[in-house]
Amino acid sequence: MENTNVENKEMTLDDAARVKVLSPGMMVFKRFIRNKLAIVGMVIIVFMFLFSFVGGLLCPYSQSQVFYTTDKILKDYAGATTIDQYQIQQKEGAELPSDIYSKTLIAASTGKYVFETRKGDVMGLGNVGDGVYVIYSLQSVNMLLRKNADYDAAVAAGENFFTDSKGDTYLFQDTGAANPDVYGATELGVAAMKSFTAYDKNTKFSYDFYRGALVAMANGENSFEADGKTYTVDGEVVSADGAEYAFVSDLNFNAANAGVFISPAYKNAAMEAVEAGQSSFTFADENGEEVEYVIENKNGQYTFRKYQETRVIDTYARPSKEHWVGTDANGMDLLARLMYGGRISLLIGFVVIFIEVFIGMIMGGIAGFFGGWVDNLIMRFVDVVYCIPTMPLYLILGSIMDYYQASATTRIYMLCVIMAVIGWVGIARIVRGQILSLREQEFMVAAEATGISTYRRIFKHLIPNVVPQLIVFASMGLGDVILAEATLSFLGLGIKYPAASWGSIINAVNDSYVMSNYVFVWLPAGLFILLTVLAFNFIGDGLRDAFDPKMKR
Amino acid sequence: MSTENILEVKNLKKYFPIKGGFFGGVTGHVKAVDDVSFTIKKGTTMGLVGESGCGKSTTGRTILRLLEKTEGDIIFDGKDVSKLDKKELRELRTKMQIIFQDPYSSLSPRLPIGEIIGEAVREHKIVPESEYDEYISKVMKECGLQEYHKDRYPHEFSGGQRQRICIARALALKPEFVVCDEPVSALDVSIQAQIINLLKQLQEDRGLTYLFISHDLSVVEHISDTIGVMYLGNLVETGNTEDIFANPLHPYTKALFSAIPMPDPEIKKDRILLQGDIPSPANPPAGCKFHTRCSQCMEKCKKVAPVPKDMGNGHVVCCHLYDEK
Repeated sequence: MENTNVENKEMTLDDAARVKVLSPGMMVFKRFIRNKLAIVGMVIIVFMFLFSFVGGLLCPYSQSQVFYTTDKILKDYAGATTIDQYQIQQKEGAELPSDIYSKTLIAASTGKYVFETRKGDVMGLGNVGDGVYVIYSLQSVNMLLRKNADYDAAVAAGENFFTDSKGDTYLFQDTGAANPDVYGATELGVAAMKSFTAYDKNTKFSYDFYRGALVAMANGENSFEADGKTYTVDGEVVSADGAEYAFVSDLNFNAANAGVFISPAYKNAAMEAVEAGQSSFTFADENGEEVEYVIENKNGQYTFRKYQETRVIDTYARPSKEHWVGTDANGMDLLARLMYGGRISLLIGFVVIFIEVFIGMIMGGIAGFFGGWVDNLIMRFVDVVYCIPTMPLYLILGSIMDYYQASATTRIYMLCVIMAVIGWVGIARIVRGQILSLREQEFMVAAEATGISTYRRIFKHLIPNVVPQLIVFASMGLGDVILAEATLSFLGLGIKYPAASWGSIINAVNDSYVMSNYVFVWLPAGLFILLTVLAFNFIGDGLRDAFDPKMKR
Repeated sequence: MSTENILEVKNLKKYFPIKGGFFGGVTGHVKAVDDVSFTIKKGTTMGLVGESGCGKSTTGRTILRLLEKTEGDIIFDGKDVSKLDKKELRELRTKMQIIFQDPYSSLSPRLPIGEIIGEAVREHKIVPESEYDEYISKVMKECGLQEYHKDRYPHEFSGGQRQRICIARALALKPEFVVCDEPVSALDVSIQAQIINLLKQLQEDRGLTYLFISHDLSVVEHISDTIGVMYLGNLVETGNTEDIFANPLHPYTKALFSAIPMPDPEIKKDRILLQGDIPSPANPPAGCKFHTRCSQCMEKCKKVAPVPKDMGNGHVVCCHLYDEK
């Protein structure tokens, strides 16, 4: 028989044992995995998912965690000036005229120790030691100094005053003259270019102490007595009963910050360093730690600075062990933000496409299957939605959300909804077109002729034939959605701080300094967007080719 | 061969509206099928021939109610097909089946063969659930398919095999009447023979009735018991195959038959060449529709539409040439 012959022939060509049966889905899969680009795309997407969703779990930082760093900054600790004016201590109960400072300075520098104040009082300086003067109020007396032993002793000591046996003090002028002028002197105070600091903050120095200390130091004596007490002098330090009592310096110290007490010991160390011409010195602080102080000299004005540790936000930190991609303008870890941003970017992409496909399939399906006025109505509505200028709409909605201060999550939801509501029309058109063409296919007529239900006709015959197109369109569309989200976030309309998205991370390039100097801030996010969109397009292309029945194997 | 009529078509008309104008109103009709009447006896095959676009397929589909008729009666097994409600129509679907011209587009590419054939069987509960698999296998074998083809998909089959699948799908519902809408015209000649023989075999086994639509006269001659010749929506000549082939009466039938290629180059034939194109069915000529191309056109033909005349032995012709003078 003719029939059986042919059947046998077909069997040998198409033997069940020889040819493996593949469902269309398997065929598509097989063709898909042979597409190298599609596999590259797939690998990228899998990486992005792992990076965003698993990486976010593994990353020890959260997306909005702000990092601080300690920075050492030179801060002023104290200032000091060389004393270039006589510091005058009044004797208890004595009154000094207001111009005594200038008069003292002139008298001391010219050597004319007797002078007249503006008021007309005659005053004089007694040079008790190098740079130390006792201020006297003078009265003219008639006295012969020849053969006066006190006078001779004073001249021999290079002093211009003496005290006689009665305890009266006389001051004389013109030492070399045959008959110098002599004045009866009453002590008013003492002048020297020295500053006194007590070791104990509560100490008040008495006039006698001042005078004694100054005289002793000027004459190189090791001890002096004042107020019935014996003080010992060691360099600039005056001790009483073995304890440090006062520090005498040529420098006048001021603390840089209010409330800081500059200890005499510190002053001592500082002065030694200044005298030695050092540029820095170390001094132990209250905790016993050696702290380095830097000395800066400006015309006798010394500034002592020390390094102080300050906590600052770690902005634009370069990639390091702690922050693999560095930190951004807010001191947040960029890697963590890339991960969490990836979640949002991918999530928005998928959610939007899902909603788009859902609405688009229903609307397009209804329009295509029922046709007629329903089709007309839906498609005209689609046309209208197509005509909506999307960018201005996004701008308006973005500013509305700004106005109502929508939270980051609300913004994400709203963004998804808005993008889906705008985007479903493309899918609706595709589905409608596909269904219109399928509806006229003979297998649909055949299905009708066999009398199977409308439900089965739609879900068994129609939908499975639309799905491939839909998958291709959706995977291509995913890239577009991610791009749109990135654009919106970049413009500041989408995802906002502290939530991250790749688009909002790139937003940093608004600052041209950041763009050119902190490439690590925006480059990874940009690359991620590029790669993801590219990958989705590769997958879409691969799927389209795989679904194309003309592509054999 | 029984003499019982399984199908009667009376004055069937199918007009497609032409929409146009600014408000989308109906501006005219394409008269695809215009007053066609014929009957088919049970267990016989009627061939429907004619040029492309003459309304053969529309007639076939209108009979199955895949298209709604405009006018006329279709009486199948004593029931008016056009008056059936949904439920009755579904029952009717199992009794009347159709095989399409293009075996490539008439199979859903995403369903396995077993499902394509068995889908409606399950839906209509043609056989009990327990016998379902066995039944599908049996039908497939009958149609020259192997059992293991069940799990395969249409893209894995050749054109001839696909047509067998289409036939299996139609026959699985145990129909009484099958419209074969140019089932072989998309296939090459050797496969055509297989399919025709298969259809004949199945007709013998099951006592099927066919309405065999084709523009290939040699195929129709081979398979048909009766033949209807259509021109521009009209049935111009009907009769037994032998009668029509031996003695074609209508000038159109003559022209059509003269175009059959003869396998013998020695035989010289007088070919009747039809002038011009087939007129538009939206605006058919007045009188006899064929008069614009008829070599024997008379004055009467341009004005008066001819009525069918029985020339004996069921040979009906629709032409003024045979008017009683």
